[in-house]
Amino acid sequence: MVTTTLPKSVQFYSEWQDPDGRIREHYAGLATSAEALGFSALAQRWSSARRQVELDAVTFYLDPGSYRPMPTDFLPRVIPVAHWETIAAGVSQRLRAINRFLVDLYNDGQDVVPDEVIYTSQYFYPEVQGFRPPKDVFVHIYGIDLVHMGDGRYVVLEDNLRIPSGISYQLKSVGMAASLFPEFSEGYDILPYDIRDAYLSMFRSLTDNPEPVCVLLTDGKYGSAFFEHRYLSDLLGIPLVEGPDLYVGLDGKVYVRTLDQDVQVDVIYRRVEDLDLFVPGLREAYLDGKVALVNGIGTGAADDKLVFLWAPQMIERYLGETPVLEQARSYNLADMDSRRFALENLDHLVIKTRQGYGGLGVFVMPDLGEGYKARVANNILQNPLMFIAQETLDFSQHMVFNEHTGSLEPHHIDLRVFAVQSGDGSVSVFPGGLTRVAQSGSRITNNSSGGLCKPTWVVR
Amino acid sequence: MQTDVGSPIETVTASFIYAVRYGYSDTVIHNDNQLRVFPRDGEGQSACETNIWSIPAGRGVDYKDRFGNQVRRLRVIEPHTTFIVAAGGSVSLSTEPPAVDDVPVTDLQNLPESFEYTSVSPLVEPETLADLAAGVGGGDDGLLATVNSVVQWVYQNILYKRGTTSVATTADQVVAAGEGVCQDKTHLALGMLRALKVPCRYASGLITGQTGETHSWVEFFHPDHGWLGADPTRGLILPPARDYVKLGVGRDYTDVSPVTGSFLSKGEAEDIAAIAHVTLDESRPTLAEALELLERAYVVQNESGNPVAPMERPERDR
Repeated sequence: MVTTTLPKSVQFYSEWQDPDGRIREHYAGLATSAEALGFSALAQRWSSARRQVELDAVTFYLDPGSYRPMPTDFLPRVIPVAHWETIAAGVSQRLRAINRFLVDLYNDGQDVVPDEVIYTSQYFYPEVQGFRPPKDVFVHIYGIDLVHMGDGRYVVLEDNLRIPSGISYQLKSVGMAASLFPEFSEGYDILPYDIRDAYLSMFRSLTDNPEPVCVLLTDGKYGSAFFEHRYLSDLLGIPLVEGPDLYVGLDGKVYVRTLDQDVQVDVIYRRVEDLDLFVPGLREAYLDGKVALVNGIGTGAADDKLVFLWAPQMIERYLGETPVLEQARSYNLADMDSRRFALENLDHLVIKTRQGYGGLGVFVMPDLGEGYKARVANNILQNPLMFIAQETLDFSQHMVFNEHTGSLEPHHIDLRVFAVQSGDGSVSVFPGGLTRVAQSGSRITNNSSGGLCKPTWVVR
Repeated sequence: MQTDVGSPIETVTASFIYAVRYGYSDTVIHNDNQLRVFPRDGEGQSACETNIWSIPAGRGVDYKDRFGNQVRRLRVIEPHTTFIVAAGGSVSLSTEPPAVDDVPVTDLQNLPESFEYTSVSPLVEPETLADLAAGVGGGDDGLLATVNSVVQWVYQNILYKRGTTSVATTADQVVAAGEGVCQDKTHLALGMLRALKVPCRYASGLITGQTGETHSWVEFFHPDHGWLGADPTRGLILPPARDYVKLGVGRDYTDVSPVTGSFLSKGEAEDIAAIAHVTLDESRPTLAEALELLERAYVVQNESGNPVAPMERPERDR
C-alpha cells in the first residue's frame, strides 16, 4: 500500500498534493499507476533500477577520489506546460541578457555592475578584454537553478555559465524511467526535445566550416562529471579527448591527434576550466580566433554569486524588458548598510560563498544551530566581499518513494534547466530539466551534497 | 566683497619607487593579482603621476576598492618563472603641521566609520585586546590622548624585531610574542584602539628619504578632521605628512597588501625581493631604476620548502 497523504500541518508547497491532501490533477495518473503496482512490486523495481544505474556507471563525484552511482528517485516530477512556458521564456531572456553583458564587459565596458564587484570576480579575465567570440556568443550552454514557490511561481537561485553539468542525468533518468517504469507515463503527453540536434547545430553555427570537426575536452576519468563527458560524446558522436590529444600548431591552429593524421579542430566543447593546464597555448589560439570554445573564456565573471545581484538590471538594460522570472533577493555584503542588515537578520538568511559551487559554502541559517551563527557572522565581518546573503526561500517539496517503508516522503526539490544559444542568437530551452532532491530536512539539493535526482517531464 | 578661498597648502614633491620580484621553482601558467601600489589621492597627499610596470606584462584593469584605493587587477598568462611588479611616480605632500583639537572618544560612537573600522577583521580581533586596552587608555581621555597612550604603549612594549612574525600574525599573537615589525605594531595598536571604540585603519606606504622596506602605520578617525596618522613603530602621533607616501588603507594588512593573488604552477614561490625608495625631488623614476634597486633588495627565501600559499606570500610591510 502506497501512502499518499501528508499531515495537514505541512508548511511547504507540495508538488504532489494540495493542502487538503488531494492529489494534484497532473499527478493523478502517476498516483494511480503507483497504487496499481503496489508496494512490493514498486520496491522490487526500485532495487533493480538502482542496480541498473550502477551497471550503467551513472556516477557522480562525491569526495575527492570517490564516486557513487547517481541516486535516483524514479517517481517523476511533472511540470504543467503552462508553468513551463514561463520558465522557458524567463531562461531564454536571462541567457540572452547575460551574454550581452559579457560582450559589453569585455569590449566597450559596462556600467551595470559596480567595478569592484566585477573586477574582483575570480573568473573575470583581463586578457579577454577587446575580444569578441565567434558570433558574439560567450555562453552557449547555460544551466540555471530554479525553485518553485507554488502555483507556477519559479524563482532563480543561481546561474551556471562556465561548464554547467547535469544534462546527462536529466536524459538518463527520463530514459530509465521510460524503460523501467513504462506504466508511469500512461496517459501523459510529454513534451519531446532533441538535445543532440540542438548541440550539433549550435556547434555548426560557430564556424564557417560546413563540416566542422568538434571534440569534447575532458579532464579525464578522475574528473567529477566523467560519466557525463562520456555520455555526451557518445550522444553527440564527437571524439572524447584529453589534454594531450590536442595541441596548438605552429600556425596557431588547434589539432587533434588521431591514428591516421592530425586533424584541425573547429569547435572544442570544453569541460575543463584551466585550459592552458590541459592544452598549452589553447587560450591564445581561442583569443586569436583560431578555434571556437563552448563555452567561451571569461563567462564565469557573470556566474559569480555576487554579480548575480545585477541580472535583473542586465535584462532591463540590454533587452529593454522586465524580467520574466524573479530571483532570490540578495545582498551585497561589501555594502555597509546591507552588511549591517544581514548581520541583524542572520537567522532568516542564506549565506553563500561567492565562488562556491556544488552546495559547498552554503549556510541556510534557519536550518543551522545557534553555534553556527557567531561563526558565520564573524566570517562575514572579516571578509565581506567573499560572501553574499540571500533570503531563505520556503520552496516546494515533492514526494520521494521510500522503498523500505513503502511511504512517500516529502523532500525539497529544485530544478536545473539547460539551454543552448546558437551563433544566430536563437535559444533552445530543453523542456524539463534536472530535478534535484535534497536530503530529508535539508534545503541543499546539489548532487555533490548528497541529494537525489528525479526524472522530470513537462506535460501538455 | 572678496571671498576668502583659503591660502594654498604648502607642499613638497616626492618621487617614489616600489618594486617586488617573485621567483618560482617551476613555470607559472597564470599569475593573477591585485596590485595596490598607486599612491592615494587626498588626506595631505596628492598623486601626480604613476607608472606601473610588470614583467611579463600581462593584462590589467583598474578600479577603486571600497576603501578608495586605486587597484590594478593584473593577470599574467605568459609562462614565466620570475614575476616583477614595479611602480614609480611622484606625489605632492603637505608640509603644513596639522592643527587638531581634541574631542571626547564618546563623540565617535555612531559615525558611519564606526561600524567598518571598529569591527573584527582577519588579523585584528578587538575583543581579545579589550583588557589590555582598558589598562592603557580610554575612560575619560579624549581622542588624541587615547591614541597617544596606545601608540606609546606599543612603541615601548613591543620590541622591533624581524623574522619572528609572519604576514599572518594576528594582533593578539603580537602581544604574546612581545616583538614584531611595523605591520605587527600597527595591528596591535589598531586592535587596542578598536577595543576602545576608536575607528581606525591600517595605512600602508613608504617613508620619504629612505631606501629599504615598505612601512605601515595607523590612521584614526577624527569627526572634524577626518583620518589622521599615528605611527606606533616610531612612537609618533600626528607625524608630518611629508614623511610618508601612502599607497593604501584598509582594516588591516589583508586589505592593503601591495601584491595579493594566486598563481598556477607545478612549482612553488621560492624567493621574494621587495624594495621601496623615496626621495624629496622631482626626478622621474624609470623601470631601469626600479630594476637596479631590486638587485640590491633583501631576498626572502621560502625556508619551509612548502609552497607559499597564494594568499599568504611572505612579502610584507616592515
